[in-house]
Amino acid sequence: MLEVRALDAFYGDARALWGVSLDVRAGETVCVIGPNGAGKSTLVNAIARLHTRTRGRIAVDGTDVCGVAPHRVCSCGVAIVPEGRRVFAHMTVHDNLCLGAYRPAARKTYKQQLQRAYELFPRLSERSNQLAGTLSGGEQQMVAIARALMARPRLLLLDEPSLGLAPVVIDEVFDALVRIGAQGVSILLVEQDVERALNLATRAYLLVEGRVAAQGSSAELRHSDAVRAAVLGT
Amino acid sequence: MRPGRSAFAAGRWAFPLATAGLAVLSLYRESLGLPVSYLSLLTLVFVWTIQATGWNILSGFSGYFSFGQAAYVGTGAYATAVLYGRHGVSVYLTLVVAAGLCALLALAIGGLAFRLRSLRGEIFALLTLAVPFILGALARTSRAIDGGQGIPLPVPSFPAQIGLFQDFLYLMGLVIAAGAVGAAFAIAHSRFGWALAAIRDAEPVAEGLGVATFQYKLLALVASAAIGGVGGSLFALYIGFVTVESVFNLNFPLFVIVMSVLGGRTHWLGPVVGAVLVVLLQNRLASSAFESWQLIVLGAILAVLVAVAPEGLVSGVRRRPRPVLGAVLGAPLLLWLAHAPGQPLDWILAGMLVAAAVAVWPGRRRVPSTAPAEPAGVEPSSSAPASASTPRTPAASHPAPATPALLIDCRQVARYFGGVHALEEVTLRIHEGEIVGLVGPNGSGKTTLISLLSGSLRPTRGHILVAGRDTQALAPHQVAHAGVARTYQIPRPFASMTVRDNVAMAVMFGRVPSRLTQARARAEQHIEFVGLGHLAGALPSALNLHQRQLLEIARALATEPKVLLLDEALAGLNPAEIDSAVEVVRRVHRAGTAIVIVEHLLRVVNQLATRVVVLDRGTVLADGEPRAVMSDPAVIQAYLGRSGARA
Amino acid sequence: MKFLQAALTGMLLGGLHALMAAGLSLSWGVLRIINLTHFGLILLGAYLTFQIASSWHIDPILTLVITVPVLFAGGALLQWGFDRLAVTELNSLLLSFGLLVVMLQAVSNLWTADFQQMAPDVNPYATGSISIGRLVFPSTTLIAFALSVLLLGGAHQVLQRTFIGRALRAFAMDKTVAAAFGIDHRRISILLAGIAGGSAAVAGMLFALSTALTPFAAFEWFGIVFAVVILGGIGNVVGTLLAGLLVGTLSSLASVIHSPATEPFVVFSLIVVALLVRPQGLFARAGGQ
Repeated sequence: MLEVRALDAFYGDARALWGVSLDVRAGETVCVIGPNGAGKSTLVNAIARLHTRTRGRIAVDGTDVCGVAPHRVCSCGVAIVPEGRRVFAHMTVHDNLCLGAYRPAARKTYKQQLQRAYELFPRLSERSNQLAGTLSGGEQQMVAIARALMARPRLLLLDEPSLGLAPVVIDEVFDALVRIGAQGVSILLVEQDVERALNLATRAYLLVEGRVAAQGSSAELRHSDAVRAAVLGT
Repeated sequence: MRPGRSAFAAGRWAFPLATAGLAVLSLYRESLGLPVSYLSLLTLVFVWTIQATGWNILSGFSGYFSFGQAAYVGTGAYATAVLYGRHGVSVYLTLVVAAGLCALLALAIGGLAFRLRSLRGEIFALLTLAVPFILGALARTSRAIDGGQGIPLPVPSFPAQIGLFQDFLYLMGLVIAAGAVGAAFAIAHSRFGWALAAIRDAEPVAEGLGVATFQYKLLALVASAAIGGVGGSLFALYIGFVTVESVFNLNFPLFVIVMSVLGGRTHWLGPVVGAVLVVLLQNRLASSAFESWQLIVLGAILAVLVAVAPEGLVSGVRRRPRPVLGAVLGAPLLLWLAHAPGQPLDWILAGMLVAAAVAVWPGRRRVPSTAPAEPAGVEPSSSAPASASTPRTPAASHPAPATPALLIDCRQVARYFGGVHALEEVTLRIHEGEIVGLVGPNGSGKTTLISLLSGSLRPTRGHILVAGRDTQALAPHQVAHAGVARTYQIPRPFASMTVRDNVAMAVMFGRVPSRLTQARARAEQHIEFVGLGHLAGALPSALNLHQRQLLEIARALATEPKVLLLDEALAGLNPAEIDSAVEVVRRVHRAGTAIVIVEHLLRVVNQLATRVVVLDRGTVLADGEPRAVMSDPAVIQAYLGRSGARA
Repeated sequence: MKFLQAALTGMLLGGLHALMAAGLSLSWGVLRIINLTHFGLILLGAYLTFQIASSWHIDPILTLVITVPVLFAGGALLQWGFDRLAVTELNSLLLSFGLLVVMLQAVSNLWTADFQQMAPDVNPYATGSISIGRLVFPSTTLIAFALSVLLLGGAHQVLQRTFIGRALRAFAMDKTVAAAFGIDHRRISILLAGIAGGSAAVAGMLFALSTALTPFAAFEWFGIVFAVVILGGIGNVVGTLLAGLLVGTLSSLASVIHSPATEPFVVFSLIVVALLVRPQGLFARAGGQ
């Protein structure tokens, strides 16, 4: 499904990723954990082409997206829930979701998609005519996830969905992710809440200072000293 | 990019010489056989030089574009037209009145506009665009000013030694233009000019380093308006009949912008070069049946310049002085030798145009390679710590007392952005001699807290006391003077200044104001201190990220802070660079400065900090000795997730 | 009665000012380009209407068939240039100021600086009027108002209800995320600039219908149109319409109560007040951009 090989990423002359390689197989949920500033966000942004200063190979179903214009990546079946949610604050919830279905292939079936999104997050259907910027953080996160699903992705990228949310709300969001995964969507999750991320994912990568420091099944990483050392600095 | 001391000295000699030389042209006009029409042309050059130079003091030096030049021209012109033309007041006195009125007008505009919290350059431009329209409408309706008829100005009496009225106007224009350019020159070479350049490059940074940006912007606006007003008086005499249409006219902003952009807005000489070229071009077009093309040519020049060479001719001339000089002299000479058709003025214009083309021709520029840098871990030059033999000890004069002094006292501070609660009930104290590590998950409010502590944001609730003074009542530059300095996560150097001058800025505008020469000497020490000595003369664009972050630190240190706030000063560095930066931070601390460091790399925080403060969702989760804090179950949970403590 | 007549006429004219302002406002709000050449396009639209209607003796409203596509292309071409040069907001102001001066002078060279007006036999709308009780409205004013409100209302509906409209709004808020959902920034900005150009053609036609043209009319529009843009809230179509009506009413009242010369004073004082009190526009939704 997703194949990242020897990926480097840059900001100006600062380097954020150093030869990162990673795979996500069809239907699989994979997480990337690591301390703040390790380059996790850069990694997903590079895959979704939100960040384009990269070198290396990113293949989605065999197509190298590095050579593709940023606005065409979603047509390859990739949708992103960006860090900090970045919902369109001055648009209604309904319009935010419709925008997710902008790509021609998704536009045809947007009504069914809309219905499924509201089934997944019933709270949003109550607020469909409210401006997204006036919602609580948790609801905005749901909008961001629903918006991404509207694009009918085969690969869903999530960047820190727990950011700034209360634990109860995080539970709700992660429950939704389980259901999304069960529908056969591949998920690549970047998360600083290590425990939750490992519970959700089958496999995990540990990113430290822009490099893959460890990888393996979630169970293996859960008990790894490397993870604890990297995240807590001890 | 700024002239050094030698250029300053040369300017001081060349300037009076040029002025005297131009005066001689008029006084000995008949002996020199110079036609009066040439004098009139030069007078027009002076008229525009005054306006363009005046405009440039605000808009070129500080970067706040004004479309309102006509407001000052009109105010000045009507001051003279009404007082002299109608009431017979002395012409010279009306010049003073014009300057005064325009200064008052500028105070009103600036006092309103620069207090707007969200003032952006475009809004300022549109706001100033409105002013001449309002004043024009006032003048048209008020009988005491104009009333819609226009005001004729009789030829004033002038000293008998001066031949014709044209000579009088010429000399008056020369004196005012010399005064205006002299003022611009003096400003460019003073603390004032440096402050304006810093505002243009990075205004919030300048404020944070101790520059009183509001006052300097207002002062620049007043200077700019006063010069424009005096020039407006001269213009009234030049046209002899003042109407609303002739002075409150959009041609003024158009011409002064074209001239300054053409000549170069960041240099005091730019508007002069632009005025000469544009006036000559206008004159030649008018005399060769292309009059209707004048504005097309000017508009096109502006559009092309903004797109191609926004930095203007003067910087091009400085880049290739010899070819430009060759062109400006050689082309007319060639045309003369070849008996080309046309007048001498045509040849001179041709020479200038060729020279201008040479100056802005895109050559091989020293663009920093866009290719990503290879791992720089083995490159020793930048990361080599400077020898500790030149320790700068700002606070060493008062040795640490037994009970460390309280430097920052942050009491129950909250900060909201709209409905988002970025910080809530944060209480925090920073004492002398500490290195406080400020850590927490993404979005926990660390950078917001740094901005609050440095005064660039105000708390929604609660109080922050710096050295006992509440920051609520202080402008950010006053907080800087109280002893707090910060660095930015993404370095924001003053792009037009060398590394040395970036740091010298901070010295000049520190608690004890100092002159440029002293500041540069002090700056050298700070640059050595962080290990950038070999790059003192380089421009920031030539620096890599690590070096730019060190420059941030040097610049903050130059304000001689009691507390230094480092906002992710190590982000994006490779391991070797991190080690070198950590060494610099240690040295700063040893020299007696307390430090608050925001950092993602916990191993660095654990290494450095004497105390760690953990923020989580806007509140202080833990505050204490690093080892204790990092084994606190609540902290582990914040970092590892809900049940991380079990893991 | 005099005041009511003035207020209503002013309001009707305000609709046209709103139409002129809308293109400027959208390109500023969505594309971050302060496009002063918009005034040049309106002027060009007016002169093209005048020229085509006069030479070919066709109904001036029908000239839209030609002028709208021509100015659509003009607007799109300019935007392509801005895009290629990647100009900042402030530089777009300077660059388009230069281009505007070029356009005005070119118009002046082509059609002379004198007043030009369609002959009565070409322009059947010039003399008509409709009276309601003792109030009289020229039919050109009514046509201008109706067409402007229709177009702005339509634009609002498109922005609210269609995929392309949502894409434009999303693009204005967050280009990067919009791109991640398949919005091609180049195509959408050229499309928007083209539509703004097309609206300039309509506004120009409406001007040619009711008044005599001079190239310097563009400078006279500056004030009132920017007042409408800023009061209405940058990028806000409905706000622009309301602001247009408000400014039109107030300035017309001012000119009746005092003298026509006070009009600019009212208009620009409104701008200054709006910028100082609510920089995001009087009619912008709370919490603006």
